[in-house]
Amino acid sequence: MKLLLLLVTMLLLGQPAPLSAQQLGAANQLELIQTLIARMEQLEKRVAELEGSRAQVAVTPTNEQPLVAADTSHAELPPGVPEGPALKIAGFSDFNFGASDQRGTRSGFTEGQFILHLNSNLSSKVSFLGELSLSARTDAGIGSPAATGFNAEVERSIIRFEHNDYFKVSFGRYHTPINYWNTAFHHGQWLQTTVSRPEMVQFGGRFIPVHFIGTLVEGAVAARGLNFNYNTGLGNGRGSVISRGGDAGDNNNSRAWLVNMFIKPDRLYGLQVGGSAYRDKVTTGGQDFREWITSAHIVWSRETPEVIAEFANVNHENLRAPSTKSNSQAYYVQTGYRLPIFDKRWKPYYRFEYIHIPRSDAVFQNEQIPNLAGSVAGLRYDISSFAALKFEYRNQRRAPGQPRINSGFVQTSFTF
Amino acid sequence: MNQLQMALLIGVLLCWIPLSLRAAPAADIAVVVHRDVPVDDLTFSELRKIVLGDRQFWSSNLRVTLLIPRPAAHERDVILKNVLQMTEAQFRQYWIGKLFRAESTVGPKTAYSTEITVSLVNNIPGSLAFIDAAQVPKALKVIRLGGLLPGDKGYPLN
Repeated sequence: MKLLLLLVTMLLLGQPAPLSAQQLGAANQLELIQTLIARMEQLEKRVAELEGSRAQVAVTPTNEQPLVAADTSHAELPPGVPEGPALKIAGFSDFNFGASDQRGTRSGFTEGQFILHLNSNLSSKVSFLGELSLSARTDAGIGSPAATGFNAEVERSIIRFEHNDYFKVSFGRYHTPINYWNTAFHHGQWLQTTVSRPEMVQFGGRFIPVHFIGTLVEGAVAARGLNFNYNTGLGNGRGSVISRGGDAGDNNNSRAWLVNMFIKPDRLYGLQVGGSAYRDKVTTGGQDFREWITSAHIVWSRETPEVIAEFANVNHENLRAPSTKSNSQAYYVQTGYRLPIFDKRWKPYYRFEYIHIPRSDAVFQNEQIPNLAGSVAGLRYDISSFAALKFEYRNQRRAPGQPRINSGFVQTSFTF
Repeated sequence: MNQLQMALLIGVLLCWIPLSLRAAPAADIAVVVHRDVPVDDLTFSELRKIVLGDRQFWSSNLRVTLLIPRPAAHERDVILKNVLQMTEAQFRQYWIGKLFRAESTVGPKTAYSTEITVSLVNNIPGSLAFIDAAQVPKALKVIRLGGLLPGDKGYPLN
């Protein structure tokens, strides 16, 4: 402090001509000294205020911690005033250009989903997460009343109580945790390496139930370095339209349940291996079917290389004719590699995906879920830390003997 | 002191300063925590899980509050390189994804100076931060990493 005052005094004494001692008489010198003392007192007071303010900031803990500077806003709150839940909003979106040699299709630009991600901590142990999507409609302006330009959808709405790392319980609308992609990337196209999701977990897809309405219990234990994670859930299962969960209520009296488990070994940092089971009674077309879904995944999330492989088997059994069982299968394998050159901004990737629906699967045949064998190859360029440009080529065939379809896509995706 | 002695002294000083700078050991980064954290020693893997947000509680009543040095700070570079093996962009993307997946309710808080870090660690229960070992105040609790403290041979954060 003394050093600061000395410096301030020297600076002030070093002012130009008007304050030069040579031009001042004795009275003026006295006046100058008094002025300087007053000035020093003002500065001392100001320094004390600033130090007090900093200390107050330091003793104000906050649970909300975005990746930004230490929050100083709390220091301005009057003591004793309760702070309401702090809502945080983030978003994702993307724009695409696509062209295909498939008959009846047109090339052009498309607007991807506009996603809002809402997060609020209601207490140190209770939090809320919401995810809203706005999707462009192809029938915008058609009909009476005219269809709107976008469909609004609540994708996720979850309230969670976290007791500790081992036990967390939540209620709400989820992305069904029986598939890695479905819960790792959600609707954030920027988060995923590729332009498109694998068809087995496509938005609005029917192969696996993408959404789940109910309750989940989840947690993780160290398990001697294996880092065992689990999710168990109970919910409504598929709705009458099997691509949708039963938001307004179940369409039968049989709840769906699921178990998902995976490990992330310490010794193999970046590896995740897991599997899931899901059971439900599906009521569709006036018939009831037992649905068993078993799935497995292996992921190497480091980007040199990145490997994601998933497999799912969907077993359907007609409950009126128990002997009729069918197994539909889907898998994909995706690899990518973050190139070490050009500031690590480029990432080429490739994915092969496959879906097989047997004719005996009445549920999926009624829904006209197509078979698929196809490849996706592309290149991702990270424009910045929060935006990417992707170039993708697809070659797909729906069934043996059918012509292959070639498509090209460019996408810019980002978070904001 | 005549001019010759003065010249010699200056010469020795000019030679010694760069040598001493070159010989200085790389600064270790200390892992410091609030005094109420019921842990004295972490394995390297446990530290990684905390920085990745995979471990969020010290105990049922005490949540981990992660304080990360500002971007481009030496301490941050060491954590990204040695602990996470990530670039800055990968680290940002990782945490955005983590929050978006609802796997964590809060992200790391960035502390923009050592002074602020020390103040926050002293005052936020459950907080964990990284500070240049040479600048750690004596009153602050320093965590051992695999039994090692900053300055010990084999200490992993430098």
